[in-house]
Amino acid sequence: MTSLPLADLLGLSAALLGIGLFGILTRRNFILLLIAVEISMNAAILNFVIFSAFLSGDAGVNGQAAAVVLVGLAATEVAVGLAIVLALNRQRGSINVAEASSLKL
Amino acid sequence: MSPEDLAFFGLAGVAVVTALLALLVRELVHTILWVSVFFVALAGLYFLLAAPFLGVLQLGVYAGAVTILLLFGVMVTRKRIFSREAATGIGPAPLGLALLTIVLLATGAATASTADRPLAMHPVVALANTLFGIDGGWLLLLGLTMLGALAGAIYLVREGRE
Repeated sequence: MTSLPLADLLGLSAALLGIGLFGILTRRNFILLLIAVEISMNAAILNFVIFSAFLSGDAGVNGQAAAVVLVGLAATEVAVGLAIVLALNRQRGSINVAEASSLKL
Repeated sequence: MSPEDLAFFGLAGVAVVTALLALLVRELVHTILWVSVFFVALAGLYFLLAAPFLGVLQLGVYAGAVTILLLFGVMVTRKRIFSREAATGIGPAPLGLALLTIVLLATGAATASTADRPLAMHPVVALANTLFGIDGGWLLLLGLTMLGALAGAIYLVREGRE
């Protein structure tokens, strides 16, 4: 259990999600895009940890277990994202997402 | 204001400011350094929220592995790491920070108390039972996902693919 106010904690999580979304919508560099996705992902993981701290017993532990799985998934996503960066860089010589439009109709 | 509140607001401020700086600075390497500070601040928040295992995982996976992976991505996709000529050598500020970290870690390790309660009572045991236990299976699912991602990543970067 924690004595911190729940509203402040959730406000921090929402602020981080907003910053991540801002990055996803405005950045053009693929690596910056990956970092913005990571920031949003961390906001979601923080939410799991916050609610697990406010619940006692099994429910709290389940929240932490979900957070552990999410950390692993986010790390996997970065690895695949960087593989895409390398493939993009080899094919086009640039990692600007605006130029990677060969799949567009 | 209790020390817990103070620690929360400090860490929350660091997290928000470094997340914004990471997306707004011009130099890509500086972005990655700021985002690593962001990950460390979040690890501190997890410790504060009574999730020490997750805090350590955050330090190891995010502040360690993901940061290095992103730096590697920058190194192999750009001819020059910095867009302009950077000063070489180590300045006094990073050197002082490194020394301070070493001193803090050493004093922390020297004063850390050994476990004074039985392991079965530790809160991490409940988490371990959920993750590895008979009714869990989450780590198995995560491992299979990572195996698939590994195969996909190798397919993407293999030689001779057009």
